[in-house]
Amino acid sequence: MIDIRNLSFGYSRKKPLYKNLDLIFEPGNIYGLLGPNGAGKSTLLKTIIGLLFPTGGTISVNGYSPRKRLPSFLETIYFIPEEVYVPSLSVNRYIDLFSKFYSAFNRNQFFDYLQRLDVTTEKKLNALSFGQQKKFIIAFALACNTKILLLDEPTNGLDIPSKKRFRKLIASVLNEDRTILISTHQVRDLDNLIDHVIIIDNGELLLNASLSAISEKLCFKMIDDETFYSTILYEEESLKGKAVVMENIYREDSKINLEHLFNAVTEKSEEVKEIFNR
Amino acid sequence: MNDTFSVTRFRWLFKKTVLEKLAQFIGLIIVFLICSLFTYAFCKFTAGFDVAQNAAFVFGLIGGGCFLASFVYGNFATNANGSSFLTLPASQFEKWLCGVLITAVLYVAIFLVFFRVMDTTFISIYHNSLDPKGAYYKELYDAVQPFPFNDFIATKSYMMFANFAGAMLIGTLYFNKAAFIKVALILCVLCLGAYVFNLLLANLFFKNVDSAFPYYLVWINFNKDRGKLELPSNILNIVKIMFQYIIPGILWILAYVRLREKEF
Repeated sequence: MIDIRNLSFGYSRKKPLYKNLDLIFEPGNIYGLLGPNGAGKSTLLKTIIGLLFPTGGTISVNGYSPRKRLPSFLETIYFIPEEVYVPSLSVNRYIDLFSKFYSAFNRNQFFDYLQRLDVTTEKKLNALSFGQQKKFIIAFALACNTKILLLDEPTNGLDIPSKKRFRKLIASVLNEDRTILISTHQVRDLDNLIDHVIIIDNGELLLNASLSAISEKLCFKMIDDETFYSTILYEEESLKGKAVVMENIYREDSKINLEHLFNAVTEKSEEVKEIFNR
Repeated sequence: MNDTFSVTRFRWLFKKTVLEKLAQFIGLIIVFLICSLFTYAFCKFTAGFDVAQNAAFVFGLIGGGCFLASFVYGNFATNANGSSFLTLPASQFEKWLCGVLITAVLYVAIFLVFFRVMDTTFISIYHNSLDPKGAYYKELYDAVQPFPFNDFIATKSYMMFANFAGAMLIGTLYFNKAAFIKVALILCVLCLGAYVFNLLLANLFFKNVDSAFPYYLVWINFNKDRGKLELPSNILNIVKIMFQYIIPGILWILAYVRLREKEF
């Protein structure tokens, strides 16, 4: 479990990015961390892994303090940054040198994941394309079987079929002991993958809710005329009519549109907060 | 699990660190050994054996050592590489020790062996070129001997290596990009500043100061003669200990502290 209490962080003292942020990430969930560029998504992931140190508050990850970067802690968490690092090594050499640090690493799983992500492995790793390198690291990270997996913009650089494979693979590796946290500004890439949405902007937590809670509180639908709807949070013209996000007063069932949700939350954050606090 | 040091984990880390950048490590070491060879050969033909031995030793040990020290933690030039290095499940102490071993033990050992072979080869060629029946054969033969690894120049070189390589290690952990150039510039400014400060200070107390080496010596012109003033031996010993052990020790330990506190 990741327990963040009163987190404060800023790259400069005068301009804090996070101030008194509280968040809890429970195992068995895939969290989507959404926010525009520069919102502080990568910063949050880096504080969880211990690459950045909070200026105030505490972070506890399965009982560990990340800033100490202890081997027993790092063995249980894997962070895939937006740009991945692969040395000039063959796949087998890479496994030989890097996998030993992760006691739960499973070689068969790794090759299975590589196959499922369609990564060819004859070349040296640094000769692969950026997308292939990224998929290689994703496969390696998953095969390490860490309890926590942090992915920063994992779909950047992946083509459309690869994004689909990525979503299927991530969904298949989730178990009740694992916490997966995916940060992205490409909200469509997380469709049908996440079960919890966290939206931040300028270091402020705008939304922290499960998909079921979102379905319960908000309604996503197409309308012809908005005259009768007073609580529209977001609207977007489309060929079929007007797509809207509104308060779910009548307990209607609707499919969540992550992009519309994101726009509604970032544009009318106070109204959304009020709806969720009721 | 021991979170500070584990022999097995350290063995994995050392192997990973060396093999991950094997080509770069070997290339870098070969470049400095070749440069050292060229320095030796050039100086031997232009200035003689003494200068050749000193110049090649100083250049190879300090230059190569400093460059390697800046390379061994050179993971922070890219976000991806820096994150990978810091989040690898090994302790900060093991990561630090790995850098220290590569710089201060592995490179120094390779360099000393190479230097001895190179020096002996050049000297053998020279000795074989002498005419045993020549008038000054013994004097000429004895005049060129292998460079002692424990004389004044060697001792000062070890001291400079320990100080500069330590500074490089810390500098690499402060400057993510072009660390070698930045630290080298800072060291040049510091050395120049210390020299000028020492000269100014010496001029306050003595007249006709010729030069004042930082920390232990002032040369004074007296008519046509030149004399030197050294620190009293007891103070000189303290200063020597400072530069040989205490300052390098602080620098190398600070590198560990900085690595622990490194944010990226």
